[in-house]
Amino acid sequence: MRIQLPIHINADGLPPFLSMLGQPLVEGEEVTLDFSGLRRVTPAGLVGLVATVLRWRREHHPVAFLGLDVCAITGYLQRMDVLKTCGADMPESFTRHEAKGRFVPVRLVDHRVNEMGHEMASCLAPGGDDYDHPMSGIYDMAWYVLTEIANNARQHSGGQGYVTAQVNSQEGLVRLALADNGKGILKSFQDTGFSWSSGMDDAVAIQKALEPKVSSKGWPANEGVGLTLVAELSRLTRAWLLIVSGQGTLQILPKRGLSVSKLSDGRRFHGTLIGLTFRQQEVRDFADLLHQAKSRTGLLRDGGITGKFKV
Amino acid sequence: MKLEFSILREFGSHLADGSQAIEFRMGRIGPYVDICREIVLDFSGVRTANSSFINALICGLVEQHGKKVVEVLVFKGCNPVIRVLIEAAIDLGLQKIDQNVKA
Repeated sequence: MRIQLPIHINADGLPPFLSMLGQPLVEGEEVTLDFSGLRRVTPAGLVGLVATVLRWRREHHPVAFLGLDVCAITGYLQRMDVLKTCGADMPESFTRHEAKGRFVPVRLVDHRVNEMGHEMASCLAPGGDDYDHPMSGIYDMAWYVLTEIANNARQHSGGQGYVTAQVNSQEGLVRLALADNGKGILKSFQDTGFSWSSGMDDAVAIQKALEPKVSSKGWPANEGVGLTLVAELSRLTRAWLLIVSGQGTLQILPKRGLSVSKLSDGRRFHGTLIGLTFRQQEVRDFADLLHQAKSRTGLLRDGGITGKFKV
Repeated sequence: MKLEFSILREFGSHLADGSQAIEFRMGRIGPYVDICREIVLDFSGVRTANSSFINALICGLVEQHGKKVVEVLVFKGCNPVIRVLIEAAIDLGLQKIDQNVKA
């Protein structure tokens, strides 16, 4: 199978790209990825590609990379460690500079979720690890979202997760993305034995995962609020959230609100992909945002017992 | 009897792993809830946490031991983010007790 990567893999172009990657293969079939026309790809596109290439390799499909010699963004793909992670490393014709404040290359989600969250959030919001720093809200938002979605990928997917992030300081945007090549949300529910998940489709399963207190891990390990709060935080900050799992896609858009659909041609993304883009200026006081998110999802009632706190 | 734990010393400054919190809750806090008049969880120096960790630590205690545990626990040195997470974890535990009573 030959896949010609589109010129732009971003925003509305992402689901069609994931559909392309979801084409069925026969046993042992080789996949050829042609990068020659590619000019722009967002972090969500990068991790979607990496997770898929590594799934193909795991399933013993040879993968060939074509057109990197003429691709306009080969250097970018190298800086983001996309080619290295996919096992297609090639000599670099540039000097690597400090990535702090600009991007975090693609990395595997492993057991060091704490460290991953801190390293990535520090890179996206330099200085924000100091609670009184002006970047602390962005640091907190990035750390919270990354650690919650990374925990989900590790606990539920049964596959490998890959994460990356980028800051566009001109537009004031932070883009976070994680994709795994595991079983997907619906299968995770079904494997847990939730009777309500039988007959459910992928898109409905994603919506179910956004409801509070729904988790395929269950007590005592998980209260099922991570993705719920990520979604609510994205609404509160007027961010763009995309979740793709199996055939289902769900987007929360700043102006259009919730949109649920399916990948085209009955294709599926083999795993779960989450992309979040938020504006730096919308995330000043993370404690207040979190309080609002918890209240709006019924996870923190006003006037209840709050516990004893002291300085 | 009073018990005090430095969360920073136990887990470090960033708290994301709920399974660590469960182990700590079950082995180090749970057995003492009925015999201590005060259990202090000192979050001084803890920079951040997520819901997975704080819910695993606090919500389960409330659910298991009931409202009385809220009188026993004292949370010290929390920054505003940690405080919101703890308040929500307590409320989530109380909501679960209410649901269990109704069921």
